[in-house]
Amino acid sequence: MKKLDKRLFRMIKATKGQYVAVLSIIFTGIFVFTAISNSAVNLKDSMDVYYKETNFADIFIKGSGITESLVSRLYSEDGVKEAEARIVFDTSFITDDRDEKVNVRAVSVDKYENKINKLFMKSGKRELTENDVILIEQFATARKINIGDEIRVKINGRQHKFNVSGIASSSEYIYMMESEENFMPDSENFGVIFLEKNYLRKIYGGGSFNEILLKVNEDADIGKIADRLDNSLDKYGVRRVIKKEDQLSNNMMNQEISGLELMSQSMPFVFLTFAGIMLATMLSRIVKKDRMSIGVLKAMGFTESEILVHYLKYAASVGIIGGLIGSLTGTAASGFMTSFYLEFFNIPMLTVKIYYYKILISVVLSLLFCVASGFWGVRGVVKINPAESMKPEAPKKGKKIFIENIKFLWGNIPFSWKIVLRNILREKKKFIFIGAAVAITCGMMVMTTWMIDVVDAMFNRHYEEFNKIQYNVSFDRFRDDSTINKLLSHIDAKHIEGRIEAPFEISNGRKSKIVNVIGLHDNTEFYKFRDEAGAEVVLPETGILISSNLARALDARIGDKILIDSFYDDKDVFVVVKGVINQTLGINGYMNIDYMSGMFFDKGIINGAYINSEDDVVKKSDEMKYINVQSQDSMRKAFEEYTAITSMSMGFMVIFSGFLGFIIVYSMTLMSINERMLEFSSLRVMGFTKMEIFNMLVRENMIMTVIGIAAGIPIGFRMVAYMGKSFTTDVYTMNEPVKLKGILISAVLTIVFIMLAQLMTYAKINKLNFMQALKSRIS
Amino acid sequence: MGEVVLKAENINKDYQMGEVTVKALKDASFEVQKGEFVVILGPSGSGKSTLLNIIGGMDTPTEGKVYFNGGLITDMSDKELTYYRRDRIGFVFQFYNLMSTLTAKENVELAAELCENAIDTDEVMDAVGLGDRADHFPSQMSGGEQQRVAIARAVAKNPQILLCDEPTGALDFETGIQILKVLKDVNLKYGNTVILITHNSSISQMADKVIKMRSGKITEVSANLNPIPAERIEW
Repeated sequence: MKKLDKRLFRMIKATKGQYVAVLSIIFTGIFVFTAISNSAVNLKDSMDVYYKETNFADIFIKGSGITESLVSRLYSEDGVKEAEARIVFDTSFITDDRDEKVNVRAVSVDKYENKINKLFMKSGKRELTENDVILIEQFATARKINIGDEIRVKINGRQHKFNVSGIASSSEYIYMMESEENFMPDSENFGVIFLEKNYLRKIYGGGSFNEILLKVNEDADIGKIADRLDNSLDKYGVRRVIKKEDQLSNNMMNQEISGLELMSQSMPFVFLTFAGIMLATMLSRIVKKDRMSIGVLKAMGFTESEILVHYLKYAASVGIIGGLIGSLTGTAASGFMTSFYLEFFNIPMLTVKIYYYKILISVVLSLLFCVASGFWGVRGVVKINPAESMKPEAPKKGKKIFIENIKFLWGNIPFSWKIVLRNILREKKKFIFIGAAVAITCGMMVMTTWMIDVVDAMFNRHYEEFNKIQYNVSFDRFRDDSTINKLLSHIDAKHIEGRIEAPFEISNGRKSKIVNVIGLHDNTEFYKFRDEAGAEVVLPETGILISSNLARALDARIGDKILIDSFYDDKDVFVVVKGVINQTLGINGYMNIDYMSGMFFDKGIINGAYINSEDDVVKKSDEMKYINVQSQDSMRKAFEEYTAITSMSMGFMVIFSGFLGFIIVYSMTLMSINERMLEFSSLRVMGFTKMEIFNMLVRENMIMTVIGIAAGIPIGFRMVAYMGKSFTTDVYTMNEPVKLKGILISAVLTIVFIMLAQLMTYAKINKLNFMQALKSRIS
Repeated sequence: MGEVVLKAENINKDYQMGEVTVKALKDASFEVQKGEFVVILGPSGSGKSTLLNIIGGMDTPTEGKVYFNGGLITDMSDKELTYYRRDRIGFVFQFYNLMSTLTAKENVELAAELCENAIDTDEVMDAVGLGDRADHFPSQMSGGEQQRVAIARAVAKNPQILLCDEPTGALDFETGIQILKVLKDVNLKYGNTVILITHNSSISQMADKVIKMRSGKITEVSANLNPIPAERIEW
């Protein structure tokens, strides 16, 4: 080993505390980047392979009375490769527990094999006879149903028994989502069953289909073909044409992948930036300390570039080691993380790959980043004049800090505090860095506590403030509003209102969105609308109220005329936006029920009702064949399961953000101790105790902690706004304000991490040989 | 008359100290022959360190020329000066300036690694009398031992000129004499030209040539026809 490299090795050993600190930040950044981005790639790749293997549909056409002649017609459409008709409907799954309400989606499949959306068999056989059923895996697992078991399903008002002949996964239900409104997977209470096509046609009645799956020749043409079909197929009973990207499960998957990608870019950026600044600071201090040695090296004949490379190797070693360990452990963690996603996403061929190119990219990126930061730190080497460097450096010019001019104030400050204030104001860059680290830590804490809070608040705001619906009853079809009286003969309701809930395509110029529009009574007691400023909004007699996420998606404002296209009778009507309302869950439009039915349906009809009741409406719904009930309690249960998992990831975020503040304060304090040995030694000679010296350092950092927290709170607000915007989807809108409690918790957590870092440095103060420092004269 | 290895012609060096121009060197001219042991003698502030830095390629003059083996070094670029120091010059400093994280031998090897015709480091360590202290770190050595390591480090590169800036300045009398003896031994053994600057006039007794300086000027250049061994010097 070259002697200069040996010196480097010993330099690393001598600064091991700071070295490990900066290494751990680089490691964390690269670890988070690799773990999350690999998980995103794993998910995306696995999903793509799964879609290819099962020939996942490009376009979903929904309607009623669809005949096989339409399927033949579609084959002649330009760009269409394959078409397949099927029957899909939701119905009740009968269990032994009469109190239990379980829904299943019955889907017709070919006796042997589908052309599109093929099933991926997990066990049993694919071939179906009339009495056989294939169950989706998530449902079978949740309800512990095995091959050979018998299940009972209500079809067309009659109970049918089926023998479970197979258990399969479906690329259409990677994420088990019943509808846009029921976005949380609840595999115990919602499942999918696959039945033989011809038999289902027979027992479902009519013989016609209600869905067609399409494959197109070119992926790029999906949008064009879907739009063309949407305009041309109305007379064939087609109501909705859904592109692959809007398919519920696929959409959720893509949103999750985008979220992961976003996180994989932003978190490591914060960590690497701080690591870079820290590395540059560390190296500039090392170079400053090594001034005389650098002079000697230059005098001996080492070139500037040789000396620069010597110090840059320090940075490069951090980059390579941090990058390598980070990317390797990140890759391993991505395996766990991807399997964790299996809890939510059912992808049978989910494989965890080692992406060697990503490891290489991570190491190269980390290396380049560290070398660039290191170069910034060591560039001072060039300025060192060998002749000048042999002489001891002149002490820094001590000048008054501005507080000293306020005589009365300065005169009353104790000596030890004067040192603290002078030190902070003379080493502004260092303290700004510590302050910035505390600020980012606090900001990330504010964001994390908000995230924990917002998930809960979204639910509570939606179900306790926005709507107060205990039971949402859906009818099997549109019915006369006198059906309410029929319901009341079975249920003792505190309050009941009929409603219409139907999907429409809403367009504003070139922007359009398919959403459910809800028709409500003008004096509805179930909804309380507020605009984004919090002011109450009354349901107008005419026009429409739209949720803020819909307004954003359509780029629509109050007063705009938006086009509402009904899927029921192909009626297009321009409606004025009368208000934009705040809605945390879901994306909807709201109209007066009379106005809505007058325009799109027959007067006095409804397709559901909202009920608040002491009765167990779910249980009682069994007596009424035509209704399907969703209770708020079941939604809450599913939601709580969902939030338990988000809380865990938020816990990691708290640890990561605290770790950042901890490491930076710890290493910068260590750096201070090393540089100020002579000063501390003099203070010791004067009679200062170790604790008094430690307290000086604590005071310096506490001042920066207070300033950092004060700066961190608005940073946290900015992060919250960014996260809110980035994570707002069709399913949820994150626009909760940050609560005082969250700010206080963040501040306390930040202080705890900073104090821990301080306590760690006390060990260093305690071990310092002050007398040795006074004697030392070796470069 | 031996071969001239170093020649300085009318060297001037000005420093700007605020609005005042300080003339550190004024028309300094002299010659040094190959293998000579030269002592530059002068009080503190006389410009001897500035002169040493200029002939060592660590600094450049405001005016004047320095020739090494007939080649002009005052016209050299920074890079050329670096290679001049690397291949031709060995420095010994008053405060040793060793690398604290390298052992004595490693400090010498650090220099030896720079040159192709370096002297074997074990041999140099023995020559300065530190063969048995090779694995000690500077902090485990006395000032005299550290200065010997510094000499070994300078000599190991096998330079043509050894420039020593007050090498005994930080040492007691006994140790100082030992160091001077080592320098003379090296001068004789390896044939290097040694230029030593000092404010201690007694040391000039061992020199082949004495250059006296005062207030930036060379006041006298004299040959010492009867140099005495270092052991006989006293101060």
